[in-house]
Formats: sequence, C-alpha cells, structure tokens
Amino acid sequence: MMIDVQNLTKRFAGRTAVNGISFQVQPGEIVGFLGPNGAGKSTTMRMLTGYLPPTSGAAYIKGHDVFHDSLRARREIGFMPENVPLYEDMRVVEYLTFRAALKGVKIREVRSSVDRAMEYCGLGEVRKKMIGTLSKGFRQRVGLADALVHRPRLLILDEPTNGLDPNQIRQVRSLIAQLAGEHTILLSTHILSEVEMSCRRVIIINKGTIRADDTPEALAENLQSSGTVTVELRAGPEEVSEQIQGMAAVRRLAASQLEGGWHRYELRVEPGEEIRLEMAELAQARGWPLRELTQHRATLEDVFVELTQRE
Amino acid sequence: MRTFLILLGKELRAFFLSPVAWVVLALFMVITGQSFSLSIGLLREKPSDFSIVRWTFFPQWFWYYYFFLFPLITMRLFAEEQRQGTLESLLTAPVRAWQVLLAKYGSAVIFYCVLWLPALLYFGLLHWVMRGEVEIPLGALGGSYLILLATGLFHLALGCLASALTRNQIIAAILGYALILLHFLAGTFLMYLSQENPDRMRPVLDQAVTMRHMDYFTLGLIDSRPLAYYVSGAVLILLITHQVLEYRRWKA
Repeated sequence: MMIDVQNLTKRFAGRTAVNGISFQVQPGEIVGFLGPNGAGKSTTMRMLTGYLPPTSGAAYIKGHDVFHDSLRARREIGFMPENVPLYEDMRVVEYLTFRAALKGVKIREVRSSVDRAMEYCGLGEVRKKMIGTLSKGFRQRVGLADALVHRPRLLILDEPTNGLDPNQIRQVRSLIAQLAGEHTILLSTHILSEVEMSCRRVIIINKGTIRADDTPEALAENLQSSGTVTVELRAGPEEVSEQIQGMAAVRRLAASQLEGGWHRYELRVEPGEEIRLEMAELAQARGWPLRELTQHRATLEDVFVELTQRE
Repeated sequence: MRTFLILLGKELRAFFLSPVAWVVLALFMVITGQSFSLSIGLLREKPSDFSIVRWTFFPQWFWYYYFFLFPLITMRLFAEEQRQGTLESLLTAPVRAWQVLLAKYGSAVIFYCVLWLPALLYFGLLHWVMRGEVEIPLGALGGSYLILLATGLFHLALGCLASALTRNQIIAAILGYALILLHFLAGTFLMYLSQENPDRMRPVLDQAVTMRHMDYFTLGLIDSRPLAYYVSGAVLILLITHQVLEYRRWKA
C-alpha cells in the first residue's frame, strides 16, 4: 500500500481541521483530493509529508510512519506545497540541483536527474533564469520539477494548477497524465473538470471529514439530484404542465419563456428514469414543435456542491 | 553529514551572493581600517597603557557598531524562509530541523569570521612596512580574536533565535538587537553591583560581564571561564531556537 491513513486528526487551537479521516491509496493510483477552501486538504497533505505532526491517528507511506519514521517516509514523497514556495534569488538549475542533492540523489546522478526533470517540465529555456523573475506558470513547473527530481514513487501535489491560465492548466494536466504510469499521485484541486479528466478516484473532504471516496462516474451516478431533462417546445406552460402531470417519473417542472413563442422546460426526473422517448412521442402526438431534448448527467460539480453545501 | 554540508553550502552561497553581505563587509573594513590608522596616530603622539591591538579592535566607539553587526547577519536566516514559505519545502525534504538550524548558524559564524580576517592583514602590513621594528603583541591579538569569536558565537545564536520567532526581517533584526543589548546591559549592571559588594558577589557576577571579558582578553589574559560561559550560552540559545522551530509546527 502506498498511503495508509488511519483516523488522522489535527486540532489547532480551538479548531479541528482534520477530524479522524481514514483512506488508503494503492500503488499506481491517481487520486483527486477535493474540498472547499478550509476543508482540511492542505493540512492532511502537510501531515502526510511530515511538516505538521498529527494530533492523533497515524499515517504510513509505504509502511513508514510519517511521524516516527519521518525521514524514510519523506524520501518516498515528492511534494509540491500550495502556492509553490521557491527561493527567489536562485537560478532554476541551481535550485533543482540543491533540491536533488538534499533529497539524497547520488552526487554522480544529480546532474542527469536535474536535466531529466527540467526536460520533463519544459524548463530548458529558463534553466539559467532567476526564479524570482519567472512567470507563475514557470514557477509552477519548477515546483513540479522539484517534486519529481529524485524520482519518488509518490507525488503529493497541493493545487498544482492554482492560478494558471487555461493553456497552462492543459500543459500541467498532460504532464500529470504522463507521470501517471510510474507514479502514484495524490493531488488536490478546485478545478473539477481536471479531476474528471485525470483522476480515477476522488476523495471529497468537507469540514475535516471524508464525505465521499469513489470513482467520479460512480459518484455522479449515485447522486440524488441526478437526471435533469431540458426540452424546448413551441407550446405554452399551461398546456405542457397539464400533460406532464401524467408522467410519474417527473418530479418537478420549471418553465421559462424564450423568443418567438418558444419555451424552455427543465424537468427534474427520478434517478435512473428515461423519459426522453416518452417526451418526444408526447410532443408529436400534441403537435408541439420540438427543437431540443437533452438529458443532463450529474457532473462531479453537482456531487461536489451536494456533498459540501448540504448542511 | 552530507545533508548538513549541502545545506551549509546553500546558506553560504546565499550569504556571499547577496549584496547586503558585501556592503556589511565593506563597511566593516572601513570601520576597522579607520580604527587601525587612528590608533597608529595615537600611539605615535604619546605612549599608552594599551597596545595597538587594543586600540584597533576596541576603540571607544566599538560598542556602537559591534551590536549592529549581529542582527544584520542573522535577521534573514529564518524570517525570510518563513515569509516565502520555503521552510515548508525545506522541512518536507528528508532533513532534520537541527540540520537546517546548524547549517544556518554555521554559515552565520563563518561569515562573521570572514568579517574579522582583513584586520589581520593590517597588522601584517604594518609589520612589513616597518620592517619588523614595531612590536605586535601576539598574545593580545590571539586573545582579542578568541573573545571576539566566543562573544560572536553567543550573539549570533541570539540573532538566530530572534529570526526564528518572526517572518519579518525588520522585526527579527530589532528583536535580535534588543536581546543582545539586554544581555550586555545586564552584564554592565552586574559590574556596577559587584563594585558595591566586591567581596561576596564579584567571583560569580564577573562571569557575565562582556565588557570585562574584553578588557582581560585584549591584554592577552586568556581565561577559560568566559569562553565556557559564551559557548554554553550559545548552545542553550540554539536549543531554544530548535524548540521554537518545532513548536511553530506543532502549533502552526
């Protein structure tokens, strides 16, 4: 097992940031760690990397206790902290060389390790530049290169795409996809589409407790609020709602008027029900002109909102 | 050990690549050089009870600049890491907090020693120019360097502690200055006290009086007690600094 977290709790003065969470990550998994700001994501990651000691509970990285056997646990990890702290007055290549040596890369291999990490992260053109003068996107890549310079088995990335523009996010995402084969990755983010694309498993945390732990698809399927159907018809609301009353699967109907006599209807449907065929037949039977009929799947965003805003 | 050397190398590079260090070094050479040339002038005019070493290293204005030196050297050490957040990436690498602490302290000590090296050159030059006709009291010179090193170890440790307490370099500098001055003034106050009751208090109180230590050592009177006082004081302060670093993480 790569990560084994058991009842991990962290209390700060008067506030419980992480409240008895447990989860496991197997080698080779890519796990997205989601949650609103202040949910305890960064605190959990800082405990896993040995920066913060847990109040109670335990965590193991490849069997090494992160608190009692911290040095050995930390050797297995490549960590990219939130906001990517870097030494502003060092050059990129200098910084990575320092970090590689510090993380125990053999002296003879430091240079090749640094070159490999820089090539991987596309840092060739800025290798001699001062870190302080780099753009946010490059800083993020330096942080990523730092995390993987010593070829760790496990990457822990705290918001790797925070503050990047869409193109840069795409680049970082494809980088992560490349890394997926040989690494286990635990990454936190706010960008849900990113998790859907790159993670095969999602852990949602809110107020210090785990609310969900599954694949993104399974989470969306199980969601209560799944199943919205949008219909656009040239027919008035009274007429339509009267007809739709008869359909058992429809729980709620919302109408809005569009141009030229068209109306848009949002139908909330019982989970797992299929009403599109029935709807099309109804429109045909009544002679309503129909121009749109769409079933919306619940997205990870719906799941996220549902699980973190309910109470 | 390898980890410590890597950290030390990085800290030393940070010192010698920063403009502040060179400004301090240049200013310091101006001050000691000025003291040296003034003391030559002074000794040429009339004989003095004190040697040229004494006049060079401890002129009347010595105390005015001496204490400013330490905060300038140490203020950056931890405060800057905490401000940039790099303490987190540093302490999540496989290194121990005490290795980081000793590397930072060690680099400050090395820089401090480098500051005093050019002054040795002055005496060498004088000896060479005068073709050996001037006597340089080697005992006094050795004693001066020894006490400067010992007090330096202690004061740099105080500066490290101040820097670990805050993320603001200015606050670290002011706090470090205050701690060093407090220790010095307490010593001066003890000297005054021991003059009031010379018999009973003197043997104990004298151990903490920096000014008196300087007096003895610059005469070439080398006493192991003040050395033990400063070195053990430095160790104690470093232990406290280590606790502060750990405590910040526990409390966070």
